[in-house]
Amino acid sequence: MSHDGNGVALAQEAPGTPRSPGFWKRFSTMHRDALLATVILLPMIAFWLLVSGFPTLFGFVLGFFRWIGIADQPKFIGLDNFVHFFKDPTYTNALWRSIWLGGLVTCITLLSGFGAALLMNLPLWGKGFYRSIWYIPAVTSTVATTQIFNIFLDTNNGVINNILKSLGKEPIVWQYSVGWGIFWIVVYSAWKGVGAAALLWLAGLQSVDQSLYEAASMDGAGSLGKLRHVTIPGLKPIATYIFITSLISAIQIYEQVLFITNGGPYGKTEVLVFRIYRDGFWDFNLGMAGASSLIMAIIVIVITVFYYSWSTSSDRKTTIPLKKPGRGV
Amino acid sequence: MSASQSASARRARFKPAHLLGHAVLPLVGLVLMYPLVFMVMAGFFTKQEFMATVIHAFPIPKEPTLRNFRALFEGTTDAAVAEYFRNSLLRTVYTTFWAILTSFLGGYVFARLRFKGRDQLFLLLLATQMIPMTIAIIPTYLEFARFPFMGGNDIFTGGKGILDTWWVYLIGGPAINIMGTFLVKQSLEKVPIELDEAAKVDGAGTLRLLFQILFPLQLPIMAFISITTALNVWNDFVTPFFYTNSDHLQTLPSAITRLSSVGAGPGASANYPLIITLSLGITIPALLIFFFFQKYIVQGLANTGIKG
Repeated sequence: MSHDGNGVALAQEAPGTPRSPGFWKRFSTMHRDALLATVILLPMIAFWLLVSGFPTLFGFVLGFFRWIGIADQPKFIGLDNFVHFFKDPTYTNALWRSIWLGGLVTCITLLSGFGAALLMNLPLWGKGFYRSIWYIPAVTSTVATTQIFNIFLDTNNGVINNILKSLGKEPIVWQYSVGWGIFWIVVYSAWKGVGAAALLWLAGLQSVDQSLYEAASMDGAGSLGKLRHVTIPGLKPIATYIFITSLISAIQIYEQVLFITNGGPYGKTEVLVFRIYRDGFWDFNLGMAGASSLIMAIIVIVITVFYYSWSTSSDRKTTIPLKKPGRGV
Repeated sequence: MSASQSASARRARFKPAHLLGHAVLPLVGLVLMYPLVFMVMAGFFTKQEFMATVIHAFPIPKEPTLRNFRALFEGTTDAAVAEYFRNSLLRTVYTTFWAILTSFLGGYVFARLRFKGRDQLFLLLLATQMIPMTIAIIPTYLEFARFPFMGGNDIFTGGKGILDTWWVYLIGGPAINIMGTFLVKQSLEKVPIELDEAAKVDGAGTLRLLFQILFPLQLPIMAFISITTALNVWNDFVTPFFYTNSDHLQTLPSAITRLSSVGAGPGASANYPLIITLSLGITIPALLIFFFFQKYIVQGLANTGIKG
């Protein structure tokens, strides 16, 4: 592209303030936008390709190679990595665990967040303060707060075991138990996510047409009746959005797994994204890391595409009838 | 919620729900705050006392000390802690600056300029946001390691590339911030284009239009973009932990990662007092940012989350 010369001319034109309606006006109607866009976007997109676009594409390609250890020569093996993925139970279990753990975390945070949002939506004194307090875990660093959880869960001098001991009970070695490992991962994720879920629900609740509530009370609906007949149907499109975005991020949870159980015991708490890390950075099995990432990406893309086709086809069904009973605001 | 709406809500709802709200919201709020309260309390312990005490739910030190808090700025307990803090801060400021600039310019281009393929290009960029970023971590490592002509590399090999240098933090700066661009684009589309035209008639050039007229109108969304970017970078352990190794390049999160079982190996006895110091160093500034700017977070979340 030979836009550079013109780009410079544009840059000189920009700060000045002459009114030259003749040439520039004609020129600007034709090319100015494209040139300015090129000048602005080209460097930004070049850097984006460098740190994001190219590595992502490279990651997809990696899945089709055998590449173990950085010093190794990559060898094209077609779909072998993907075949291995579905034959090796440690991978399929990790994938399955990602899905149900993600689903569980999503359900717990969204349900409790919904309850909280209903309460925060009441005209209570101090509700803004409660909202802030609930949201705080979301802004803390996972690395830092998982370490606090680890102090609670320490075998020898952990807070919970010290309490158990003072009650005369046997201390629990949390790290030896799959169930406890999963339990604490879920507790941590819920702790961190509930405030953000409440905020999202709150925004959703406030977007429900308020005149419907008045209509409902005139029809004699009580609080529960309004919840059932106004709030829940009114939230449907937003609820789907919140559920899908939460699910997509929850099936990619790995930091709390890394810091709380580190995948143990015996890899029984591994989730797929955690496994990608383990393959990539500890075992240097770059091909399998790439193949697993591609599978994760496909799952996320499939969920997203399903959601978009669903929401565009059902928007008319759920949102437009809602407006009808409302009296014009 | 407007005044009339909340007034009607007050009239319409009955008391038991309010009672429940006044009971549940503060109680669960306290439970949610508890790990942070514990963190602050533990921060007053000396290393020796923390290791020697049987830690209970609300640990109270016999000889409270401010050493851990001071260490973040002065490095009294561990010279490196102040350095990690500084690195975290520099990296956050740098990345946030670029996020503001690229989001704003990108938003302007896609909202205001008309050129062939604009909408397709934007959709393509937006679509890449659904790809999980974990896929890029290992390729990024390889790319950094093979970066041409850097760190002793000939074209691709021979040295360590830009791994373990400041470039790891710097290189991503000018890259377009796609979510930010999306938000600014949406927000700019609500500003009537007549404003641009009027400014041009008054003789304002493109730069003046951008930074003196349009930018001030975008401050709320820019605030949201900067806060979320700043918190993300401030809390990020991936980049420093995986792409750097030298001590002088570590940030607070990567320093904790190295001290944890992830970095030190399973079974290693963790240096909890130092971990708590670092955790406080990460958490307190994040909370301060949150409390000062929470208005924008709430607004912005509503904008991003609830898009019809």
